[in-house]
Amino acid sequence: MNITKATLDAFIDDHLNEQETIKVEKAVRESPELQAQLSNIIVSRDMGDHSIGAIWRREHLSCPSREELSSFKDDALESQRIDYIKFHLETVGCKACKANLSDLNSSKDSLTNPDTREKRRQFLENSKILLPKKQ
Amino acid sequence: MVSLDENMLVKKIQEGDQLAWRDLVLRYEGRLTNYAQGKIKDHASCQDLVQESFLGFLAKINNFDASRSVQSYLFGILSNKITDLLRSYGRLRTVETPVDSSGNQKSSPFIDPAMGASTWYRGDEKKKLENDALIKCLGLLINQFVQRKDYLKLKSIELIFVNGLSNLEAANILGIDNKTVASHRHYANNFIIDNLKRMNLSPDIFPHLSEQDQD
Ligand SMILES: [Zn+2]
Repeated sequence: MNITKATLDAFIDDHLNEQETIKVEKAVRESPELQAQLSNIIVSRDMGDHSIGAIWRREHLSCPSREELSSFKDDALESQRIDYIKFHLETVGCKACKANLSDLNSSKDSLTNPDTREKRRQFLENSKILLPKKQ
Repeated sequence: MVSLDENMLVKKIQEGDQLAWRDLVLRYEGRLTNYAQGKIKDHASCQDLVQESFLGFLAKINNFDASRSVQSYLFGILSNKITDLLRSYGRLRTVETPVDSSGNQKSSPFIDPAMGASTWYRGDEKKKLENDALIKCLGLLINQFVQRKDYLKLKSIELIFVNGLSNLEAANILGIDNKTVASHRHYANNFIIDNLKRMNLSPDIFPHLSEQDQD
């Protein structure tokens, strides 16, 4: 794996898979040059400079919509689009779309168990006062 | 893309509508929790992080930029919270916060989108305009590929820009030759440069546009 500026950029955004992340972490630990490069990217991001990759990832620019993912799940899209979405999920490894898809696939069990529901009820109750005041 | 009823929901929350707030929480809770669970196994911690993300969103609701997607914004807040938590567990050790000469920590490398839509740009309006223009250009480019069903080009540039791969690595994954990937990259760079110029912006503001692959 050739670690470039773009790789480090994806690393900062936690966009690499587990294996790649471990590799980059190790390489950075062992290389002062990579550490310097990483710091530079972080500082320039702080100044507002974002790479194309960072912007694309952050804004989810190529992500299919939730509705489209739902059709994907039901195999109700044309084959080229299905092929692309598979690529986006598996090869690009988009974590946001994976989360959306597993949410669409889940039986909702995890969100309807009594503890979760109670915690949500309390959250909604407590957060009410933080809403802007009604005009 | 930002959907109309998403904008409506945000508007109602800005007006203090409790039902709209509940709707928003119910709508995004599942996907956000699933996202957190991909990183953190403990369900209760995931739920806490998701709730904190909603609070981060609510705290800045009046500054929310309607052109942004609520989902992307929430994922951004959550992702930062997860990173902070994992760092506190000692993972991601290599991404240290930069320290200045007197040993003081500089601001966090993980800029918190919950600080407000424009703080990705540290309040710098010019930078914000430039970044918005780039988002627009990329959106046009991706849309063109999708409309033309030119998925091979989209895959090439997604691997290069999003995954940070070299032309050669992308070519190997796609089973095409290096030169073809290079031509896709060239096409994308020119498309973006042309569109930036059309918006009266200099492509020099994004130096990585002119960077070609080293391999
Ligand atoms: Zn996606």
